[in-house]
Amino acid sequence: MDRRQFLYGLNAGLGSIAISAMLGEKTHAAGGIGTPELDFPSAKAKSCIFLYMEGGPSHIDNFDPKPKLKELHEQEFQRQGNEQSAMSSGKRYYVQTPFDFHKAGQSGADMNTEWSHLASVADEICFYRGLQVTSVNHPAANYHVNTGNRLGGDPALGAWVNLGLGTENSDLPGFVVLPEVSYPQGGASNWNNGFLPTEYQGTAFRPQGSPLLDIHPPRGVTRQQQRLNLDLLTTLNSRHAQQRPQNDQLAARMRNYELAFRMQTQVPDLVNLAEESRATHHMYGIDQQKTDLFGRRCLLARKLIEKGVRFVQLYAGTWDSHDYIQRAHGAMIKRVDQPIAALIKDLKQRGLLDETLIVWMGEFGRTPDNGIRGGIKYGRDHNPQAMTVWLAGGGVKAGHTIGATDELGMEAVESVHPLRDFHVTLLRLLGLDDNKLTYFHAGRYKQLSQFGGQLIGELIA
Amino acid sequence: MKSKASFRSWADRTRWFLILAGLLGEGLTLRATEELTELRRDPEQIFVFQIHTMLVNKCFACHGDAPQELEGELDLTSRLGMLQGGTSGESSLSPGRPGESPLYLAAMRDHDLWQAMPPKESERLTQEELEFLQVWITRGAPWPDPERFKQLQQGRNPWSSGQEVRVQTSGGLSEEWTNRTYEPARLWAYQPLMSLELPAGTDNPIDYFIQNRVPAGLAVAGPAERAILMRRLCYTLTGLPPSPEELAAFVVDRSQNSYELLVDRLLASARYGEHWAKHWLDVVRYADSSGFANDFERPNAWRYRDYVIRSFNNDKPYDQFVQEQLAADELFSESTDAMLGLGFLRMGPWEHTSMAVGRITRQQFLDDVTSSVGQVFLGQALQCARCHDHKFDPVPTQDYYAIQSVFATTQLAELEVPFLPQENRSQFEEDQKYLEQRESALDDLKQTINRPQQTPNDFGRDRLSRKWSTLYRRARDRYQPFALGVYNGHTNFGRTSHKRFEKPANVTNGILEKTAILTGGDVFSPGQVVSPGALSVTAVETEIPPTLDGRRSAFAHWVTNPRNPLTARVMVNRIWGYHFGRGLAGNPNNFGAAGGKPTHPELLDWLAVEFIRSGWSIKKLHKIILMTAAYQRSSTHPHPEQLDALDLDRKSYAVFKMRRLTAEEIRDSMLQVSGELVHELGGLPSRPDMNLEVALQPRMIMGTFAPSYVPNITASQRNRRSVYALKMRGLRDPLMTTFNQPSPDESCEMREASNVTPQVFALFNSEESAERALAFANRVSAETAGDDAAIQRAFELAFGRGPTEDETQAALLHWRRSLEMQEQIVPQPADYPFEVVRQANEENTGELFTFTEPLLEYQDYQPDLQPYEVDVRTRALADLCLVLLNANEFIYID
Repeated sequence: MDRRQFLYGLNAGLGSIAISAMLGEKTHAAGGIGTPELDFPSAKAKSCIFLYMEGGPSHIDNFDPKPKLKELHEQEFQRQGNEQSAMSSGKRYYVQTPFDFHKAGQSGADMNTEWSHLASVADEICFYRGLQVTSVNHPAANYHVNTGNRLGGDPALGAWVNLGLGTENSDLPGFVVLPEVSYPQGGASNWNNGFLPTEYQGTAFRPQGSPLLDIHPPRGVTRQQQRLNLDLLTTLNSRHAQQRPQNDQLAARMRNYELAFRMQTQVPDLVNLAEESRATHHMYGIDQQKTDLFGRRCLLARKLIEKGVRFVQLYAGTWDSHDYIQRAHGAMIKRVDQPIAALIKDLKQRGLLDETLIVWMGEFGRTPDNGIRGGIKYGRDHNPQAMTVWLAGGGVKAGHTIGATDELGMEAVESVHPLRDFHVTLLRLLGLDDNKLTYFHAGRYKQLSQFGGQLIGELIA
Repeated sequence: MKSKASFRSWADRTRWFLILAGLLGEGLTLRATEELTELRRDPEQIFVFQIHTMLVNKCFACHGDAPQELEGELDLTSRLGMLQGGTSGESSLSPGRPGESPLYLAAMRDHDLWQAMPPKESERLTQEELEFLQVWITRGAPWPDPERFKQLQQGRNPWSSGQEVRVQTSGGLSEEWTNRTYEPARLWAYQPLMSLELPAGTDNPIDYFIQNRVPAGLAVAGPAERAILMRRLCYTLTGLPPSPEELAAFVVDRSQNSYELLVDRLLASARYGEHWAKHWLDVVRYADSSGFANDFERPNAWRYRDYVIRSFNNDKPYDQFVQEQLAADELFSESTDAMLGLGFLRMGPWEHTSMAVGRITRQQFLDDVTSSVGQVFLGQALQCARCHDHKFDPVPTQDYYAIQSVFATTQLAELEVPFLPQENRSQFEEDQKYLEQRESALDDLKQTINRPQQTPNDFGRDRLSRKWSTLYRRARDRYQPFALGVYNGHTNFGRTSHKRFEKPANVTNGILEKTAILTGGDVFSPGQVVSPGALSVTAVETEIPPTLDGRRSAFAHWVTNPRNPLTARVMVNRIWGYHFGRGLAGNPNNFGAAGGKPTHPELLDWLAVEFIRSGWSIKKLHKIILMTAAYQRSSTHPHPEQLDALDLDRKSYAVFKMRRLTAEEIRDSMLQVSGELVHELGGLPSRPDMNLEVALQPRMIMGTFAPSYVPNITASQRNRRSVYALKMRGLRDPLMTTFNQPSPDESCEMREASNVTPQVFALFNSEESAERALAFANRVSAETAGDDAAIQRAFELAFGRGPTEDETQAALLHWRRSLEMQEQIVPQPADYPFEVVRQANEENTGELFTFTEPLLEYQDYQPDLQPYEVDVRTRALADLCLVLLNANEFIYID
């Protein structure tokens, strides 16, 4: 038990440890402090910042231009296939992109010109166009990306990473989520611990109000009063524990109270960005109206990584542009472009980019065609068959574009891989082997990829 | 037509076991033994009985099953394939030389060049398998041709202990699976219940079985003190602590049957059903909403919840309870109460929207209900057999689909079931009043929308108002006599969850589903058609008609057949677990090989037999368990070192296992101690106060925001037991979830009791805790005169005991100091939010839209006791009370 006891949030239920021990499960680094025992010691990335573009950003309008659609613009199209949802039936029309594209950086990465800041770091990025997912429903697709299971309920990627790598800061959670004020579809299950012990759950730092629920004592309770309360509690608990020396949960719970007391000052300090320089604020677009919210989250992500948090997931949405894609996507790009580029540059100048894996993705891509809803058709529906995701930072093949979609952007055709392979690859970049990072639950060893997957070696430098 | 699930009788099978055992086990002559040793060295024998099985289980998935997708182009399904090797260009097999055979080197997992195989650590070859591989290669790696293979396979297996048995099932996808053998110990759950003879003069059969398995030399703990015992008992049966008065009376009552009378009294209390219903609701995944994208309210789900509470309080025989939940419409359609049981079939998270493919969501329902029936009633992980025959258990994929076929004509509907007189409708009027206010506020919002829509607000508000109209229309069903139910009929894929599911006039419109084995679990890859059936391994005969009606009732009768070896075992094991904190079998939802084997198999069977004999009475089962010495034992062992040495895992019941209260028990106990708990049976979900930041957190449902959570206006509704609290899948109460209230998406067989820092914030800092502590202090002040008496009373209420002298001194000092600090503070009435402004990106335009949601109930909200309403002495005492409510002694019970 010892090495787990100082983990943020402390002990796994005794049951789960006992069970894995009984079954001879390799306990892995299992959440202790200090240097984790990596499956792939050469891995560079030690932590991950996951930029979740909720709603399904269009590959066709961001990073995967399709000139052919210009020719077909507004031509009617009937999708094939007999099992249809409402989204694929009815009259549909091809839609050209309203955006201009250019080749960014020395690598010549395809990018729409709205991404003016990201273009300056294009050579740090590895674009991947071969990924395919399976679900067209937002919550199911979100669950799939986050947990490997479309139905939800399984541990999130960040939970697995913490199980594998442990934490470097016992006073902070190892898996922090920075959601928007409104949670994504599927809610907090997107950062669930699933069947892993509770301490692997993602902790959402709330963008408004207190960063952690009830981290501030109620009105009228001073720190002095709390200390007084805590001291009396310790007196009562000590007597109780002395009479029950067999139960180590009692002592563990007492330590949690002291830890919580320390966190009450630490966490609010951490989320307070006032100490960062004016130049830094400016760089992230903080205090400019369109970029302020996401800029703050990106800067906070950097601070959390510096403090030893393993996995930070940021949400930005919604990219669900069924209509008016020029305005809708254009506005989204404005919100995230500068903050993301600033994050990459900031990590680089601090020498942290090499040891941080950055992931940019949504839950699916979008269709080259659209139906008419309310007389508007310049948008796109959900497309699980094609999307663009990108990676930057430790160990990725920066400055390359891997894979390709067909000439309409309907379907991935080169370096095509299912999501589970991408999960395997993300774990590998963090030094973890999906096949070894397993946990016994409900009758079998479970893993992020569900049943195993292949490495997408082309994404790795 | 006779269904697939009719099997050879158990007696036949047993005889067959014996023949096999006789052939290979006993009576071997010396010569036979030598022969056996020789056979075990024969590489062909090794291949047929060892290597080939290992290849099938651990290699073919990537190197054979799909000839088009061979990993590394390596085909291990033939000797030629092995010799050819894969992309490495090297032969994977060098007959005679294991040290030069990559196949062997990879399996050893420590070679520099050859990647460890199989890749999964959990599937690594055992030492024994490695040895067989080594010997087989050394001896030339022979691969008998198919005919010879079959011949050998049908012959004697030289490694069989004579104990291993084949098991008759409906048959697997491969002959190999069908013919595989099992160690009998792994099949314990499928064996008929043992009827056990007890020695004459056995006082208490349970204690007899427990004592039989206490390790030699291990003393058992003495009886718990009476005060501790009563507190334990009250929590076990009702989930609430005893009052100090009840406790004092019990402690001094030395009459012979005082404990037994207490057990009877608690079993008769309505609080019992509320508490035990919660256990069942955990297992069946009760929630008041559907989950997924819309998280639609299930406006009548509460009637199922109350049905479960009533069933426990009335001690409904368990077999009837099961039958009602599976098939009340077929068996008991005249009974209103029974019909409400059908809610069970509707408990899983599920929705169908036009964005999804109807056939897929229908299949999700079928898979969900099959898996649920397996876990809840049978303790079987049937879901493991969805894509392939079960890896460990004798559950062929055919059985999975045979059971699924039982539900192939089951269609979802909100059925009209008249309200029973005892169903609580007292909240309808008030609830409807606020719903109507919301509807009219929505009408006001609609007035602000330009038609056609132009601005972001127009689009955003239009989308919102359309969704909320749907939600409100559905919410009106709360007051209608509908119940979550099902009917038998043909399937229509198009019915979306936006509307109440009606039972159509003609139930044969649509398609009659024909269940087929779905290859890889994929609904678009149907294979062999399957008739309705049950779990074939149990050898309990059943005939399930393939007609529209009658499938579920036949299945329910199979489940509750007293000869079904699983049903009674599974339920008594659950009940045992809720008394002792662990099941006799370690995983109440999984009696297969991957679940924990029973620590006390005789006891488990004795309990199951007794349960059936008593007419499936749960209350009688409680009583016999509660009357044992094992239950009444102290949680402190006299010799801890001895206990650690002889029973580290605490399997012997030599000492009672301490436990942390569950989330609901914590909240309910705080309300009881503070004097605020309101007892009222059943009815519409109550809406307790919830952390405001979470309650008002914007929450996305498909296309727009969900309405905010607003608590009930009166304390009498808010401060009811937690089992009645509204349970939306998409908005969980953080106080409950941090204390391990399980997600209603998966069946919970046993609560976890984790120990994490957010629990400290929830219990030490929350508004909820502060309010309980203040009411607690106010109660103590009102009930006592003088400081010492107040401290005495506070300890008794919280811990069921008075303070020690030291504790009194520490508490008095704390109170004095708190008083000094409180005197500096002038508390003010709290403000409550009357509206909330929402702002979000509007998806049509990508620009911000805003709207204001009125929080109507807050305008009439009557808060719990507030600091400004009490004197400073009480406020200072509240800090002491808060400490007591946070103490380990309050949260853990001995």
